[in-house]
Amino acid sequence: MSFLQPMLLAALPIIALPIIIHLINQRRYQTTRWAAMMFLLAANRMSRGYARIRQWLILLFRTLAIAGLIFAISRPLASGWLGVTAGGRTDTTIILLDRSPSMQQLGPGAVVSKLETGRQQLAKTLETLGSTRYVLIESTKNVPRELNDPTDLLNLPETEPTSTSADLPAMLQAAHSYIAANQSGRTEIWICSDLRENDWNAESSRWKSLRDSFLEFSQGVRFHLLAYPRAAPQNVAVRVTDVRRQQTSEGVELLVSLHLTREGDSDERLAVPVQLEIDGARSEINVDMVGAQYELKDYRIGLTENQKQGWGRVSIPADANPADNDFYFAFDEPPERHTLIVADDPTNVRPLQLTASISPDPQAKSVATVVTEDQLGTVEWEQMALVLWHAPLPDADVAQQLTNFVSRGGRVVFFPPRSTSGREFMGVAWQDWQKPPKEIGIETWRSDQDILAHTLSGTSLPVGELQIREYCELSGEVTPLAQLPSGKPLLARMTTDHGGVYFCATTPAPSDSSLATNGIVLYVAVQRALASGAEALGNTRQLIAGEQPIELATTWERLTGDEEGLSTEYAFHRGVYTAGDRLLAVNRSAEEEQASLLADEKVAGLFNGLDFARVDDEAGTINSLIEEIWRVFLAVMMVSMIVEAALCLPKIRPTQGAAA
Amino acid sequence: MFPDGNRREFLDPSALSRLSGLPLFARRPMMGSVSGRHPSPHRGASVEFAEYRKYVPGDDLRRLDWRAYGRTDRFYVKEFEADTNLRCCLVLDTSGSMDFGSGDITKLQYALKIAGALSYLAVQQGDAIGLSCVAEDMIQNIPPRRNPAHLMHVFDTLEKAVPKDGTQLTSVLHELAETIRQRALIVIISDFFVEPAELRSCFEHLQFRKHDVTAFHLLDPQELGFEFRRPMRFLDMEGGPAIFAEPNEIADRYHKALQEYLENLKQVVLQTGIDYHRTVIDEDYEKVLTQFLAGRTRARGVR
Repeated sequence: MSFLQPMLLAALPIIALPIIIHLINQRRYQTTRWAAMMFLLAANRMSRGYARIRQWLILLFRTLAIAGLIFAISRPLASGWLGVTAGGRTDTTIILLDRSPSMQQLGPGAVVSKLETGRQQLAKTLETLGSTRYVLIESTKNVPRELNDPTDLLNLPETEPTSTSADLPAMLQAAHSYIAANQSGRTEIWICSDLRENDWNAESSRWKSLRDSFLEFSQGVRFHLLAYPRAAPQNVAVRVTDVRRQQTSEGVELLVSLHLTREGDSDERLAVPVQLEIDGARSEINVDMVGAQYELKDYRIGLTENQKQGWGRVSIPADANPADNDFYFAFDEPPERHTLIVADDPTNVRPLQLTASISPDPQAKSVATVVTEDQLGTVEWEQMALVLWHAPLPDADVAQQLTNFVSRGGRVVFFPPRSTSGREFMGVAWQDWQKPPKEIGIETWRSDQDILAHTLSGTSLPVGELQIREYCELSGEVTPLAQLPSGKPLLARMTTDHGGVYFCATTPAPSDSSLATNGIVLYVAVQRALASGAEALGNTRQLIAGEQPIELATTWERLTGDEEGLSTEYAFHRGVYTAGDRLLAVNRSAEEEQASLLADEKVAGLFNGLDFARVDDEAGTINSLIEEIWRVFLAVMMVSMIVEAALCLPKIRPTQGAAA
Repeated sequence: MFPDGNRREFLDPSALSRLSGLPLFARRPMMGSVSGRHPSPHRGASVEFAEYRKYVPGDDLRRLDWRAYGRTDRFYVKEFEADTNLRCCLVLDTSGSMDFGSGDITKLQYALKIAGALSYLAVQQGDAIGLSCVAEDMIQNIPPRRNPAHLMHVFDTLEKAVPKDGTQLTSVLHELAETIRQRALIVIISDFFVEPAELRSCFEHLQFRKHDVTAFHLLDPQELGFEFRRPMRFLDMEGGPAIFAEPNEIADRYHKALQEYLENLKQVVLQTGIDYHRTVIDEDYEKVLTQFLAGRTRARGVR
């Protein structure tokens, strides 16, 4: 049991007072001389047993009464899961609130979401426990914000649900920074989350450093995890995987590809009416789901000739989680996909030019322009989607232009020049060329994401069939996407806020690799980079909530979507927005549909060594996490006093002598 | 009778004066040495006719009924009742428990009043009075005499009676039953804090010896009521161990034990036929004695 005023328990020895008084009283009997001892002896003999029991009972109830009073004023808490919250008032209470879409899952038979339940539970609990300072770190901005009162959790827009995923390590890092910067005293960190793997990112190396840094705090930091891990079987999520506007001989049509995901392993047949809304016009298709996944490819919706640009929404009926029941998209005429190939020797980049200029989609026109570094001044960067750089790394103004291009969302793939110049771009530089004694293959590559990922049908790219004859080493901090047997990166990506910067350690030249001769990998990689670069160019964009800088979203205007959220938080809420001439469709990330939860042992492992307590709750729970039970102790005290008084009452007997 | 210098605390002349009007009678025939107002088992020369019987040689010829001889030609002797005096033995319990008194008076002081009054009344009507003071043993034993000087001796003894020690009342009563040879009125004044079964044997012994036994059972109102507010430490007045007790807790059982004792005692006195008077010492002793004497007067003639 824990207490809100544990110091008052120091008064517990007072419960010995009745015993001491009793012992003193034993010595204060009034003495009288008595003649009729024979009857007294008989009476005393008969009543000795009961009298002793009664005496002990009186003592017991007096002790209970005092103990009840002391416990009552110590403000005991009913719930034991908090462990010993005792130990004095908390200086700072930091609340880490997961606002991700999965937290909008409703409880069984309830209309209250996990997030709403968590907010209410936290407000009640923290109000009871009390603290000098309350700080909120919510999952969209990861910025500490001081609260006046725990009840602010119920009112602030920053605690409302969003479409962004959470990043628990980043939130904890923010909490750590706050504690360190403010020199907080005794601190409690309350984490409210549904334990989704994608939010917790348990494999991240950040956890270890976080753990170590929290352990360094001398003031003691206690972690409370308020978890809502209950899954919602049969919950269906819908996602638009592709939208294309195409002109056919019969007219203009929109090809929409859908993906439905169902939680659980049930093979039960499930009929899902999917509603499609294009610029406000609705249509419905019925889908029969068997199993966990359903894929609808290129569903055709007719458009009028003048419907060049527009938005749409796909929605399914309400189920356990309303946050994944709709998905927004925007469409436009496909823009020309301009690729700029910068080469010191234009004759060597023919394979690149071919892969960049042959579009897999006949509707999308691809153009590849080869220039030398000297000709860069004439390039219209705003038109470019992809830059293939087969020349010494840029410097000075050119490097700045390229950086701006990447920041705008463009993609750059660097190929090593024959003579490395020692220049570097974003901290990465080419080193020496290496020529292995014989051809080598690619040992590992990232097939789950980025430009070497599996195809939509799940087939892997034949990356393993590539042969590398010569490669150039890289220096700098990069994320390898494909590695040689020696562990050296063959294809690597720079971490940037937007856009993409890739380094390919070899060239398509037959003397260097089989990239050109076995051209599938090169073609797919280039086309994928081109497609993602083109996304930034078109007048429509599919955005993942929370990935855009919030400052950019301040100029957005909402066309449709989630009615919640302030205009300053548009970047975190699903919907369709306009930014100038562009249409932006904001949705949750694909990871939100993966219902996998963090295992209990893993959670315990993340907080290993830290002062950590966890409670699992359910959405819709109305009970407070903790409850003060001083009333119970007060009742115990009163009952004890009444019983004690009853035991002390003299027995009613005739006032006249029995023998009279 | 009592010069001012000889006034005793336990004697109230006005009460004695009022009590003098009531004679002290024995309930059964006495065998006194002189004639008196009490019936004797022997035939005597009183005015009260008793019976005729045949003449036997040796009878006083003056007691022959000549008229009967004239009518029947047989010799008959006419007999009359004999009256004799009374030998009254007072047995006074002077054990420690007799020193108890919750009011203005202790049980012993009350007993002295009764004993003093009875001594006076007996001597005044020509009867002999004796006194035995009993505690752990027979402390004082004054044989019955009927002269006024003896009465002063009895009064002196009563005046000097001091309550102390335990009581061996039953053994002393047995002893008295054996030592008092002639029939006597045995008046026992005690709180009788002994087992009723033991008293039974005493009373039976005394009855067997043809004594007329009277018992004044003295009780204090507090002993009957047992009303205390505070936890008490009871000290035994007869030297026993002290008892710590919560009166409220044990009052019921105390009363139960007392009631049981009184009931048993009642059975004893009924079965042994002794003259029993339960007396609470807040009662007026004159009233108690008046009832006692009046009862005796009413019962006179019962042989």
